[in-house]
Amino acid sequence: MSRRYDSRTTIFSPEGRLYQVEYAMEAIGNAGSAIGILSKDGVVLVGEKKVTSKLLQTSTSTEKMYKIDDHVACAVAGIMSDANILINTARVQAQRYTYAYQEPMPVEQLVQSLCDTKQGYTQFGGLRPFGVSFLFAGWDKNYGFQLYMSDPSGNYSGWKAAAIGANNQAAQSMLKQDYKDDITREEAVQLALKVLSKTMDSTSLTSEKLELAEVFLTPSGNVKYQVCSSDSLSKLLVKFGVTQPATEAS
Amino acid sequence: MKLDTAGMESAAPVWGSHNELVDGFSAAPSFELPNTTDFDGFQKEAIQMVKPAKGTTTLAFIFKEGVMVAADSRASMGGYISSQSVKKIIEINPYMLGTMAGGAADCQFWHRNLGIKCRLHELANKRRISVTGASKLLANILYSYRGMGLSVGTMIAGWDETGPGLYYVDNEGGRLKGMRFSVGSGSPYAYGVLDNGYRYDMSVEEAAELARRAIYHATFRDGASGGVASVYYVGPNGWKKLSGDDVGELHYRYYPVMPSTVEQEMVEVTGA
Amino acid sequence: MECVFGLVGNDFAIVAADTSAVHSILVHKSNEDKIMILDSHKLIAASGESGDRVQFTEYIQKNVALYQFRNGIPLTTAAAANFTRGELATALRKSLSYLFFLVSTIVNNDIWFFQNPYFVNILLAGYDKETGPSLFYIDYIATLHKVDKGAFGYGSYFSLAMMDRHYHSGMTVEEAIDLVDKCIMEIRSRLVVAPPNFVIKIVDKDGAREYAWRESVKDAAVPLA
Repeated sequence: MSRRYDSRTTIFSPEGRLYQVEYAMEAIGNAGSAIGILSKDGVVLVGEKKVTSKLLQTSTSTEKMYKIDDHVACAVAGIMSDANILINTARVQAQRYTYAYQEPMPVEQLVQSLCDTKQGYTQFGGLRPFGVSFLFAGWDKNYGFQLYMSDPSGNYSGWKAAAIGANNQAAQSMLKQDYKDDITREEAVQLALKVLSKTMDSTSLTSEKLELAEVFLTPSGNVKYQVCSSDSLSKLLVKFGVTQPATEAS
Repeated sequence: MKLDTAGMESAAPVWGSHNELVDGFSAAPSFELPNTTDFDGFQKEAIQMVKPAKGTTTLAFIFKEGVMVAADSRASMGGYISSQSVKKIIEINPYMLGTMAGGAADCQFWHRNLGIKCRLHELANKRRISVTGASKLLANILYSYRGMGLSVGTMIAGWDETGPGLYYVDNEGGRLKGMRFSVGSGSPYAYGVLDNGYRYDMSVEEAAELARRAIYHATFRDGASGGVASVYYVGPNGWKKLSGDDVGELHYRYYPVMPSTVEQEMVEVTGA
Repeated sequence: MECVFGLVGNDFAIVAADTSAVHSILVHKSNEDKIMILDSHKLIAASGESGDRVQFTEYIQKNVALYQFRNGIPLTTAAAANFTRGELATALRKSLSYLFFLVSTIVNNDIWFFQNPYFVNILLAGYDKETGPSLFYIDYIATLHKVDKGAFGYGSYFSLAMMDRHYHSGMTVEEAIDLVDKCIMEIRSRLVVAPPNFVIKIVDKDGAREYAWRESVKDAAVPLA
């Protein structure tokens, strides 16, 4: 009897809750976290890699960051197989828009179209919601740099700084404390690494456990998505002083 | 593109204005296809069957007091006059009239259909449909059947909350708002009389007389028009039939030739 | 016969069109406005079969409005032009495209039946904050060109030559109207089947609006009810 309302995604509990959706969000709460910060000259995404093994050999350079279109990228927290489906539909949507209008899809429309897909799985029977949260970083000519966060229910909202995945509440409150409106991209990288270093479970922060990506405008005015290489990430960690386990421990 | 005068013939081919390119694109059939290998040929034949009914003169115009609508009553199939008593002015509801040119069945069917839709609109909205709305309804239906052989050239005339309304609607989906229209093979003749005699501030009597004359003169020159010239008037209180005169009788009233009093005698020409 | 033409000026675009509704040799109407105001800063001038012209431009207008409602931002002129081109192109190869039609946004409920090619030629003029005024040439076989002057119909032979000779970049409104009037006069004096009346519309930073009518035959004006 206790499994009357939570076994189906499409049914409300007497308290007006959708348990399956809440469970999906719970699943994300345990996933590797990701942080996004909006700055005046770009958007920064950092993510924590959960699975690291010396034997692991992945074809992609990133496991949490995905380029959706030339002007949009996203960071993922949650079930990667679910995320792959959504990323694919997002890419298709972006191309379809370009096909119809011959110009890049506005970032919010892209996020919205993806969230419409997510929402569908919380309402139509027999299906499981996507166990994925996203951070979208992008630029368009109408609203400039933007950062969006979406959850399994299909809700999305725009943020100046946001965190998803494990310890996202702690990260969120630290971001709230330290975020300034006129932050530069470099400062944003520093802030993101700092917050992540404090909220991650592991004691030492190394470049193998991290991913850093940025969306910014080149001097010629083109949007660029750039993933930080492992080497330069190591240098950044040293530069910002977040890599010494000794200082963290104290 | 060439100047297409097909519409001027008594019997206008419906597909006259389409070029070869159009025929290449067949429409998704929404009803069963005829059992034939030569579908284009079949369509042409079918259109021939509908064709004769376009020999018509209908007209309508807006003036100070409302809308005047008039039409002849002849139905012909090529050279054969199949009826002299066709009702070409269709009463859609007490405030709206439709005229009939083109396929009689197509016009009748879609006007009745429009009548239903207008009544349903009235029931749903507790007010009569506007002439604008009704004509758009018809135009959209005809547009959706475009290229499938319908032959309709109609005017929707009526009185609604905004006053008198007049629209021309045809089977190609065309829809024009205007003050003065004439449709059918006799329309150029009718236009001639109408354009010349029209004034906005006519009285109902003057307007009726103008409409009747225009129809009469069209029936005189256009072999495919004839019979009775019916004249309807739509005012604030709905439509009213004003007259229905045999054009043969009108001839003696209207034909502008005076009987010559002196009969010329034949004289032998000298020196020819 | 039909004459539609337009040009881009300094910080505005102008389109002009004849206003005759013709069936074979009959002129049913000589004050038919063939330039639709697509949204606050776009004009769409169309020539072609009367049914298609109205149905297609209304369809585009409704979709552009829907986009703005859904997304809170207007389409750019270039995006609207590409969208229009796309709709023409899919309709051109129709027949099975009714399936596509069911999937795509259905604004006009009445065209669910099937789709035919639309026989319309379009000049789309608009003004955008970032890019300024622009003019797009789209013909019925879905060719899209960004142009600074363009024309359709029988009048195009005269108006194109006239614009080739007298057009220069950065024209003022006065110069442009003068050129439009030159075109109209040439069409009226040289084209056998010249339409008597024209409408001129303009779009600039203040929006799209009617500029003037050029009438040589006055149709009975519809009295305001």
